[in-house]
Amino acid sequence: MLYILQATCVSPQPTYGLPDFSSPRHPVANRFHALEPDYQGIPTGILRRMGKAIRLAVGAALPMLKAFPTMPEGIIIGTGNGGMEDSIRFLDQIIAYDEGMLTPSDFVQSTTNAIAAQLGLLTGNKGYNSTHVQRGLAFEHALLDAGLLLRENKSAVYLVGGVDEISASNFNIDLLAGWFKQEIIDAADLYTSGTPGTIAGEGAAMFLVSLNPEGAMAHVTAMELLHTEDPGVVACTLQSFLEKNGNPGEPPDVFISGENGDIRNQPCLEAVEAMLPADAAIARYKHLVGDYATVSAVALWLGTLILQQQAIPGALVKKRGNLSTISRILLYNNYKNFQHSFLLLENVVAGSPA
Amino acid sequence: METEQLKDTLKRQVIEFLNLINVKPEDIRNDEPLFGSGLGLDSIDSIELIVLLNREYGITIQDPKEGRKILVDINTMADYIEKHRTK
Amino acid sequence: MGIISAAGKDLSGNLLSLQQGRSAIGPLQNFPSRYADRLPFGEIKISNETLRRQAGITEPGVTRTTLLAIPAMKEAISNARLSEADLRSPRTAFINATTVGGMCLTDELAKDAHRKENGSEYLSSYDCASVTLFLMKYFGLTGISDTLNTACSSSANAILQGARLIRHGLADRAIVGGVDSLAKFTINGFNALHILSAEKSRPFDAGRNGLNLGEAAAFLVMENVTAAAGKKCFAALSGYCNANDAYHPSSLSDTGDGPVLAMEGALKSAGLAPGDIQYINAHGTGTENNDLAESRAMERVFGTVPLFSSTKPYTGHTLGAAGAVEAVFSMLSIGQQEAYATLNFTTPMPDSTLVPLTRNTRVPMQHVMSNSFGFGGNCSALVFSAC
Repeated sequence: MLYILQATCVSPQPTYGLPDFSSPRHPVANRFHALEPDYQGIPTGILRRMGKAIRLAVGAALPMLKAFPTMPEGIIIGTGNGGMEDSIRFLDQIIAYDEGMLTPSDFVQSTTNAIAAQLGLLTGNKGYNSTHVQRGLAFEHALLDAGLLLRENKSAVYLVGGVDEISASNFNIDLLAGWFKQEIIDAADLYTSGTPGTIAGEGAAMFLVSLNPEGAMAHVTAMELLHTEDPGVVACTLQSFLEKNGNPGEPPDVFISGENGDIRNQPCLEAVEAMLPADAAIARYKHLVGDYATVSAVALWLGTLILQQQAIPGALVKKRGNLSTISRILLYNNYKNFQHSFLLLENVVAGSPA
Repeated sequence: METEQLKDTLKRQVIEFLNLINVKPEDIRNDEPLFGSGLGLDSIDSIELIVLLNREYGITIQDPKEGRKILVDINTMADYIEKHRTK
Repeated sequence: MGIISAAGKDLSGNLLSLQQGRSAIGPLQNFPSRYADRLPFGEIKISNETLRRQAGITEPGVTRTTLLAIPAMKEAISNARLSEADLRSPRTAFINATTVGGMCLTDELAKDAHRKENGSEYLSSYDCASVTLFLMKYFGLTGISDTLNTACSSSANAILQGARLIRHGLADRAIVGGVDSLAKFTINGFNALHILSAEKSRPFDAGRNGLNLGEAAAFLVMENVTAAAGKKCFAALSGYCNANDAYHPSSLSDTGDGPVLAMEGALKSAGLAPGDIQYINAHGTGTENNDLAESRAMERVFGTVPLFSSTKPYTGHTLGAAGAVEAVFSMLSIGQQEAYATLNFTTPMPDSTLVPLTRNTRVPMQHVMSNSFGFGGNCSALVFSAC
């Protein structure tokens, strides 16, 4: 499908720069706020207007783009809510001033495509620019979009990313809807809580992708997306996905699980885990970064890290498994127990087709 | 309010309203152009400053183009406010 | 294809408006806003209750944006003679676009966002995806399903995305399009930018002073050659391109760089020369910035600019739906071999020699271009060709 040339991640843990999971940070009041990088590359005149989602995306991507020898042919972003905080700030103005004289910058910055637009603006990128907003599959659709574009532009490079922010407003909305824990919980107890809901997170993971394996970090070989609440359908889909894309003699070595501590997601998760080889290692990450619509981008970044380091950071291990070399990783995400994605990530084998 | 005091207050309000990071009132000269060079504000800022004049000083400017003629620098802004404020 | 807009509740209603030069722009009647009678809008004069009843929806939490999409999708599905099995097929993709989503519910959103009460019925209906997810359930769609939001070019990009999926064999057909409803959020957002006109908009006119907002839904069923066999073909999508102006968050460069790249790219992807286009359905919003930038861009790309008009005076600027609405109008033009007038135009812009069509004109049309340019410099151009 495509090769990942470079990847960066801004998350609630020290993942930007030198990743360090040795003493993980904890959520506060069920919220995992991102560790923001310094924004030195961004002119203050532009930074002052940026809502958090835009800041996180630009903070993650800009240094990587500036250091890359060529300009990507396009920028494709997946986001669930975009700049929700800016939207609500504008909404509050509408109410407070009864539709009177209002300041427009919150409105302009709140449009979900402002993230991709700002990245284009800051780098003078006049190529393809798109924003996918299919909630828990927004990032996956951005990746799919890049994959299709690469079939048409075989020598191109694209920037693909997933980003979402916690705002007081979208936290409240999802809390009222029952998607976050009613009780305050710590990371250590997330998976054993036995209650509905999870904890909120935010972050940005950005990737430069192409069809060129030279110097690439990892190879995304296949992806499958699914809308269902039925664990049986999830299991069936995984089975045919592995049959179509897997090599029966080479099952995945590592499974990166989108487990999030919501008891309602357990049946689908268990159906998936039941299909794994007995000695597969299992990693999970939402106790470290929380859950949100585009968190699967962080999972993909983690996958590239695990392949590069040939080890799973201790803080992520659910099951050690029987690892020698890590060459195939299966990623599974489950968002609000309705949107599912499977992704196969493999080591780069020189000369293999994308 | 004394003119100098108004200009000082105005600088603080501009900084806060436009979220000008790392800019202090003493960094802004009274005759420094707000747009183009100088402070480097843009068309969205000119609209926002019109809203500022309305909310803080009760002044209504309908057309942003008219607004740009008034919003040249702190001096002209303060001048206009003193002549037209209703708050 | 299927459509609902202020200009008509279906294809034939919209076509009649175009043929009769009838604009539906006027004061708001069913929408409480300070601007209801101060500014003109392209309002669909059908209440949410009626839309719900006609769609047979009894469950709570369904926004107007979602409700408007249903009749347009039904019309498109019916015209394309899609069966239940076709809809259920994993080879049928669905690419939807919206900018408003559930943000049309100002009061409920504010209460929920600030956790004022126990939560309204719309908690899962605010984001753009909620529209798509509801429509997937309503129509039983199981294939690749996605939502795009790139402001005013959104549904043009949805069309482009659907074409790509079919071209690369990930789908045999794609239902593509977009929807947006009028919302205090967008009304006040555009008003705060001083780009709403207090009069009916005058695209490309020297005295133009802004746009009128509208609401609409429009969807196309695109099929590969095999799936389309034996069915009525409105047009073929022969070219498309998306590019970025990269100049300013909410206005286009004076030289129209993004529009130039989009139009040139669309021609190239269609394998056509500028001289092969007989008519352009322009983005033509009536703002000072867009119409000048677009004119300059058309001159740069075409030299001798073909016949062009803006159909936004019939419907208003329907934001996320605009690309799809104007795709439908472009295809109606091809079908009727007629280009439709730019209403309200009297005087050319001083900075340009271009004059849009001011009368409905019968013209042999093989290839038509449709432009959509959005905030953030997002520029898309589509080329439709006679079947």
